[in-house]
Amino acid sequence: MSRWTKFLIAVILGAAAGLFYGWVVNPVEYVDIAPVSLRVDYKTDYVLMVAESYQVDHDLGLAVRRLALVGSSAPTDIAANALNYALQHEYASQDLSLLQSLGEALLTWNPNQEIPTP
Amino acid sequence: MKQDRRGSWYLLTGAVLGVSFGLFYSWVISPVKYVDAPPYALRADFKDDYRALVAAAYLYSGDLLRAQDRLAQLKDDETAQTLAMQAQRALAEGRPEEEVRALGILAMALGGGVMPDTSSLTPTQAATFIPPTSGSTPTPLLIEPTASPTMTMQTSPTSQSTVNIPQSTTSYQTPQTETPTPTQGAPFVLQETQLVCNINQPEPLIQVEIKDAAGQPVPSVEVVVAWDGGEDHFFTGLKPELSLGYADFVMTPLVVYSIHLTDGGKTAGDLTAAECVADDDSRYWGSWFLTFVQP
Repeated sequence: MSRWTKFLIAVILGAAAGLFYGWVVNPVEYVDIAPVSLRVDYKTDYVLMVAESYQVDHDLGLAVRRLALVGSSAPTDIAANALNYALQHEYASQDLSLLQSLGEALLTWNPNQEIPTP
Repeated sequence: MKQDRRGSWYLLTGAVLGVSFGLFYSWVISPVKYVDAPPYALRADFKDDYRALVAAAYLYSGDLLRAQDRLAQLKDDETAQTLAMQAQRALAEGRPEEEVRALGILAMALGGGVMPDTSSLTPTQAATFIPPTSGSTPTPLLIEPTASPTMTMQTSPTSQSTVNIPQSTTSYQTPQTETPTPTQGAPFVLQETQLVCNINQPEPLIQVEIKDAAGQPVPSVEVVVAWDGGEDHFFTGLKPELSLGYADFVMTPLVVYSIHLTDGGKTAGDLTAAECVADDDSRYWGSWFLTFVQP
């Protein structure tokens, strides 16, 4: 076996060792992430919680601020995505209704009416 | 002969290059992207937001099992205690009263306390909201409501909209749990006032323990202590290691205090630091222990 072949084998073994260490021995641990990185089902549940809390406080600005944590798109889009996911996964009808209500309310939201909070 | 003198260092060089390439690839070319993460990986402040949201949602649904499931995703060691402590932090930080109240109620419910009163909730109907589909042109969605074993809300169609989802009415049933439900809104009453002599407690305290009708400690209850020319407020739950319904106040000797709760009830007056006598006839300050209960 030539020296170059051995060298390449060493490189490959080294890379394999690095990957084994990174994926098996000491895999990535998710810490200190933001809600935007949540899995889609958790995001949908998050939006559902926003919808539930909106039914209590009727504070659209607060709902928008909460939704902003799970995505940078428009609040209506975030609610729509959650509703679509909920539809596809056959959420209970009252949950769909809540998401629907939140989406409808967000259509009336005007950011210019928001009073900035300190 | 010349090659043999170089030894096998080239193999180590190759391995180092391989590892370096792997790290460069994983850190620079294709770094880790945090996606599909679970809630327990959230940063601490986002976890606080998450708990507050779970509590706010619980106020609407009264679904304790769902709230427990959601909180379990955070993998907190002591869920009720964590909520109570967050409620106290929120109170101290001047967070909105609704948030503090929601956290306190959920903490209490998890400890076996009350369920939220949802009778006043009135979901509203506004403009038609059509979620976008995969295509560029939104199309109306027709949804057939499906029965779910977890369904607890009585729904009835009250309006016709593009999306055919039954709109909820004010009628609502909380899920059946084994959680005791004390009288809603009943003020706490003073059950017992007791002088406690503890030689290991050098300061004279007014100690307050508040329990609901089920005998469970109640956090986040505001207690008002007044004396001639002054008044102070403190809250239960600041020392969850003792009890979620516990709070105390350090008395100044010779000052006469009165205690009452902000939600009403009778005032306990004429509380002043009292002395206790140890076995060796030495004297030390005792504490007043007041127990408030919800009838």
